[in-house]
Amino acid sequence: MLSALILLPSIAAAIVGFLPKNIRADRPRQIALIAAIAVLVLNLVLVVGYNPNSEDLQFVENLTWIEWLGLNYHLGMDGLSFPLVFLNSLLTVIAIVATKESIERPRFYYAMLLVLSAGAVGAFLAQDLLLFFLFYEVEIIPLYFLIAIWGGERRTYAAMKFLLYTAFSGILVLASFLGIVWLSGANTFDYETLRSQGLPVATQVVLLIPLLIGVLIKIPIFPFHTWLPDAHVEASTPISVILAGVLLKLGTYGLLRFGVGLYYEGWLAVAPTMATLAAISALYGACCAIAQTDMKKVVAYSSIAHMAYILLAAAACTPLSLTAAVCQMVSHGLISGLLFLLVGIVYKKTGSRDVTVLTGLLNPERGLPLTGSMMILGVMASCGIPGMVGFIAEFLVFRGSFPDYPVQTLLCLVGSGLTAVYFLLVVNRVFFGRLTQSLAKLEPVLLIEKLPALVLIVPIFILGLQPSWMVRWSEVEATALVKTDQQITIAKAKSEQNQDFETNLISANEIGISEQIKSN
Amino acid sequence: MRDFLLQNCWLVPFYGLIGALISLPWSLGSIRRTGGRPAAYVNILMTAIGFLHGSIAFAAIWSQPTQNIRQTFEWLQVADLDIFLTVDISPVSLGALELVTGISLLAQVYALGYMEKDWSLARFYGLMGFFEAALGGIAISDHLLLSYALLEMLTLSTYLLVGFWYAQPLVVTAARDAFLTKRVGDILLLMGIVTLSAEGAGLNFSDLASWAETSPLTPIAAALLGLALIAGPTGKCAQFPLNLWLDEAMEGPNPAGILRNSIVVSAGAYVLIKLQPVFTLSPVSSIALIGIGSVTAIGTSLMALAQIDIKRALSHSTSAYLGLVFIAVGLGHVDIAFLLLFSHAIAKALLFMSIGGIILTTSNQNITEMGGLWSRMPATTTAFVVGGAGLVALMPMGMFWTMDKWLDGDWQVSWWLFAILLFVNAVCAMNLTRVFRLVFLGKPRSKTRRSPEVVWSMALPMVTLTVIALLVPSVPQSWSFWLSLTPPLDNSDSLITQLATPGLIASGVIGLILGATMELRRADARPIQVYLRFFQDLFAYDLYIGKVYNLTVVWAVAALSELTAWIDRLVVDGIVNLIGQITIFGGNTLKYNVSGSSQFYVLTILLGMSLLLGWFAITGHWSGTIADWLSSSSS
Repeated sequence: MLSALILLPSIAAAIVGFLPKNIRADRPRQIALIAAIAVLVLNLVLVVGYNPNSEDLQFVENLTWIEWLGLNYHLGMDGLSFPLVFLNSLLTVIAIVATKESIERPRFYYAMLLVLSAGAVGAFLAQDLLLFFLFYEVEIIPLYFLIAIWGGERRTYAAMKFLLYTAFSGILVLASFLGIVWLSGANTFDYETLRSQGLPVATQVVLLIPLLIGVLIKIPIFPFHTWLPDAHVEASTPISVILAGVLLKLGTYGLLRFGVGLYYEGWLAVAPTMATLAAISALYGACCAIAQTDMKKVVAYSSIAHMAYILLAAAACTPLSLTAAVCQMVSHGLISGLLFLLVGIVYKKTGSRDVTVLTGLLNPERGLPLTGSMMILGVMASCGIPGMVGFIAEFLVFRGSFPDYPVQTLLCLVGSGLTAVYFLLVVNRVFFGRLTQSLAKLEPVLLIEKLPALVLIVPIFILGLQPSWMVRWSEVEATALVKTDQQITIAKAKSEQNQDFETNLISANEIGISEQIKSN
Repeated sequence: MRDFLLQNCWLVPFYGLIGALISLPWSLGSIRRTGGRPAAYVNILMTAIGFLHGSIAFAAIWSQPTQNIRQTFEWLQVADLDIFLTVDISPVSLGALELVTGISLLAQVYALGYMEKDWSLARFYGLMGFFEAALGGIAISDHLLLSYALLEMLTLSTYLLVGFWYAQPLVVTAARDAFLTKRVGDILLLMGIVTLSAEGAGLNFSDLASWAETSPLTPIAAALLGLALIAGPTGKCAQFPLNLWLDEAMEGPNPAGILRNSIVVSAGAYVLIKLQPVFTLSPVSSIALIGIGSVTAIGTSLMALAQIDIKRALSHSTSAYLGLVFIAVGLGHVDIAFLLLFSHAIAKALLFMSIGGIILTTSNQNITEMGGLWSRMPATTTAFVVGGAGLVALMPMGMFWTMDKWLDGDWQVSWWLFAILLFVNAVCAMNLTRVFRLVFLGKPRSKTRRSPEVVWSMALPMVTLTVIALLVPSVPQSWSFWLSLTPPLDNSDSLITQLATPGLIASGVIGLILGATMELRRADARPIQVYLRFFQDLFAYDLYIGKVYNLTVVWAVAALSELTAWIDRLVVDGIVNLIGQITIFGGNTLKYNVSGSSQFYVLTILLGMSLLLGWFAITGHWSGTIADWLSSSSS
């Protein structure tokens, strides 16, 4: 069942990619759209069969792949991955619809988009560390092409920057994974097996740091964020949607699944630092966003600020805050997706994203009134106005994190207040005011162009008014992720045993070496 | 039937929302053929239904054995957080609901005339419906998070209503300032809510009192919490230092201004009143409330004196009266706070209806260019007089009885409070007299010469509200103390109590006389005396608070963001690019080393090895191993 989620887009990608050259121009788009919708339908089927009250993995598939390496094709779905897989399939459909129909080299484009989607699903579902890493790396290649070929003016620079950063992130994640397998003496990369390792806290921290830097690059958190604004600005609209909505979530997902899941005690040790880093990142992103004049850059920096809340929630590490982290991922995915779509419409119609040039676009006759109205909604959702999903996700994050990190939480709240500043400046400059003559001959926005944004608004409202529909999927899993005090004591006892064992091992090694030397 | 309507009172706010949703096709331009009128009628109808429903329920609740019906709706349950949204149906909350739907209904009928020529009538009515829904929700909400959500809805709809004519530059800044100023307060309020919730308080208003008694907070935490909770209403009620938005918001359409100046500002104070138990935790809270209230009451009363825009001249006094409400809450005189809100809301709504008529018929807002309207617009003049009389404690109208009730010995009242009341009353009377003289008396001027009375759709609500305003005094007179936790005192023989009634009347008379005798200046005539000029400018420019903000907060945020963006571009990204440059440069340089001659490679290896060994020798690292190795090789 789960393999289908990966295989379906992959096969469709292969078909699209190897279509004969003289095919009708819109055929690749149709095939890609059908495949993406099929995946979405499949997801809906999974919703019916999914039991949110169980903390076990569901729809498990486990095949041995490379036995001597300890690599298994082990897929499973739980409350952490489920919302993200769903989000991914929704945003893939939206990205395909939002792609302009006259795009160059459509076969390659849609194939890459589908591979990207398949890679992300695979990463969310993988229950094997190495398998996760493979999917994590797979997703870099299509995105590199998607930015480098269909991007804006500085696309080569942006794509290369993205590639280098993310590849570096992948290497660090891999290093951490290899480290935990070697040090815990396991012969498998299986997630569940490694979760119950009992490494001493110091070792955990040492292994956690590369992983952390890896995911912090991906999320991205200050100071590892500079690839994101460039990538967003140069990427085309649908790619920005996928990048913000899905690919950034790979970082936070990795953080929760592996940072918190594998190195629980180590994570608790570094959590205060991370909470502070989250607060800095939130304020830094917000301040940078205020100073931008490119609408897309504003949204990109706001992504940095909003993703930081997830780091804060992860640092607090309570059932509430971890549930909140998942909610914030969903919320950010929907809202930033919406904002990028709308900025894309504005750019397409006016040819500019510069807030100092655009003005008065809300004009009902010659402007973009519906786009403007949706922009106001999207901006308000991002500011955390109640009734929309952004508010409840942020409220849960703050409420969950406040008992542990009051100061950091309050700073993040200030960041949330600054959201209103930068987004309101954008709306005020771009949509309010008098329409200038140079902008007066805008083409009307077609229904197909508005449709993706309209579709995204629906869940933003529904989940904002009825958040329990979002929370219930991940609450059990988030609770399971938090270890009780008892579990921590057991883990400690185990790690002490291990430590004894390790020191014995090391001393034994040393004796062996010196004996060897002596015999020389 | 009556019981059914009473039990389902929580539906009332939804009527407005439904109206707003129905008018979407018109406001988005999907239906163009009919114009915006149908949407307007639908909204008025929905509001009328809401008002009717509320009225029947309001009548029914008095016959109920228990006059407090609480209904809970489970909204969200996650981990250790339970959010049950609670609605409290009591005579007070239903009364507030009645006030909201009633004034909203009048304002919407009024808008039929006022907004007649506007092309986006449907959008306006949709926003009004949304506005009304939020206000109605606040009236019956018994849950802090729900009230917060509704206050944010208000913030949003204020932004949209103030920004209704978004093509005008002043409107753009006014909408922005309204939103951001309120948002500052709201974020602080949210901080307070997060803290309260994390400290284990259920967020129901009714439970706050019992929580406050056993609260585990340290004094500093309690003080900060109190300040955070005060901040939200401070923004909503346009109190210092978050007061300027209300003045600017006068750029919006006037029917929305009727609601804004009467019940929207009251909504903030209403939440403040419900939060009062938390303020008992720390003396800092009540000091802050009284301080904010006093500064605002005095400051904005004075600012009003120098305004020449007819709406702004009245909107400043809104802040002043809400300042009195803040003082009342700070002192714990909750009932008085309610009465102040009520009397003020009716009187102010009437005043704004009256000046709306003037603005529409003269197409002018500058009072120095008006005059002689009394004979031309009798109904409007009557409305202004009645509204003004209701606002000033001079004649036996609403505010007189309210203030009198405050001072009549049921409460512990100090001399400073008495002084502030007299001052606000006198200055308000003076200002209203000044406006009245400029607008209605004197000879008709060029802009007021051809000004007929308003059309029926505006006259009808105006006259209705005039009648209601004349009936208002019965409420403070018959008000029994519903809300106060402590029973009223009896200080009737204290000096203040004895001076109260004559004092209030005297202050009103003094204000009236000052207003009637002060020199009126027309158009851009300016006083010659330097000190008069100084004060005129000081008050007219809102004590330069706006300029101070521009030079401090706004500048600081702008500078900080510029600095951050600069650091981001040059330092953080600069380092990244530098590393890239170094790598490329290094690779380009090193490629010349690939010469193919083995001697060079051997030399490189030799150099590398000796560097490594030298490093070990200096640091002593691994020296033991090396020594060991040397000794074993020699043997």
